[in-house]
Amino acid sequence: MTLLLSTATEDQLWNREQLARVVRDPRWRIGICQQPGVVLGCSQRAVHDRLHSEGKRNEIEVVLRESGGGAVLVGPWMLSLSLALPRDHAWSVQGSLHSYRQLGRLFAETLRAGGVGAHALCPEKMNDAQIALRDRGLPPLAWACFGDLSPWEVVNAEGRKLVGLAQRRRSTGTLLVAGLLVERPPWSMLCALLDHPDRLADILRQRTTDCARELRNTPTPLSVWVQMLHAALTDALTRNPCVASTEA
Amino acid sequence: MTPVTLTDEAWEDVDPGVEALVDKWLVQEGDAVEVGQPLANAVLLKTNFEITAPATGTIAKILVQTGETFARGTPIATLLA
Repeated sequence: MTLLLSTATEDQLWNREQLARVVRDPRWRIGICQQPGVVLGCSQRAVHDRLHSEGKRNEIEVVLRESGGGAVLVGPWMLSLSLALPRDHAWSVQGSLHSYRQLGRLFAETLRAGGVGAHALCPEKMNDAQIALRDRGLPPLAWACFGDLSPWEVVNAEGRKLVGLAQRRRSTGTLLVAGLLVERPPWSMLCALLDHPDRLADILRQRTTDCARELRNTPTPLSVWVQMLHAALTDALTRNPCVASTEA
Repeated sequence: MTPVTLTDEAWEDVDPGVEALVDKWLVQEGDAVEVGQPLANAVLLKTNFEITAPATGTIAKILVQTGETFARGTPIATLLA
């Protein structure tokens, strides 16, 4: 499978198209945005409208996604996954936390297979993880996806976030989206675009990590991560039954 | 009156005390709706859920406005079936 080069707008269009009709089989897309862009959570509509009225979209692509959570700075530093599932798929038929659990674990296992120490954060350990970060002077920044933690997102041993997750559920199917940091994003760019002080960029830097950092700057080629994720998804989603009651 | 709620499935395994947010209303008070029709979008733990009409009827009252939060079991609207 080759690396898909995309834009933030194209990604959101693909996502919308998947749930516009009934999803019959699992479908996914893994890619990277060559140009920087900001993808805002559905509840950040006011920020989206403000950025458009200020003409910021002339500087950078600014789009609104249909799932929740904070802003994501997409670009060559982040691998994006969109995964559409039938409503009766084993990953989708239970609550949304179950879907997050399956995808978070798949990412963590894939990362560990690639030499990155990572685990999916179970809900029972969420509070401890947040407290540990806060004790280091790193409060959550809910306006940014990577500034906060949610259940089953993927972190390293220090609780620094590597993979962010979000989801959209409709009667036609479930759409899971994930972003894996392969290199360190320019967090100052995100703060500047959203009118947050630059000191918050340092908090974002310290609350997150990336594959290159975890592999001590000998990064795995993007195409290898894509192949590994594709293989893991193929194994987990198409080899397993497409009906409920199967605990993957 | 029939209450319009976010399904129990959406709240599965969610800690008590966590609230959902009404992201967008797709209908207004007085609108006629069909059973299963999407009425609103709500966000819970980064998941955007479609809230659908539990019966065919008319939207009587919107109880939770866009941008407001609500707890498990709280009706966000009432429907006159």
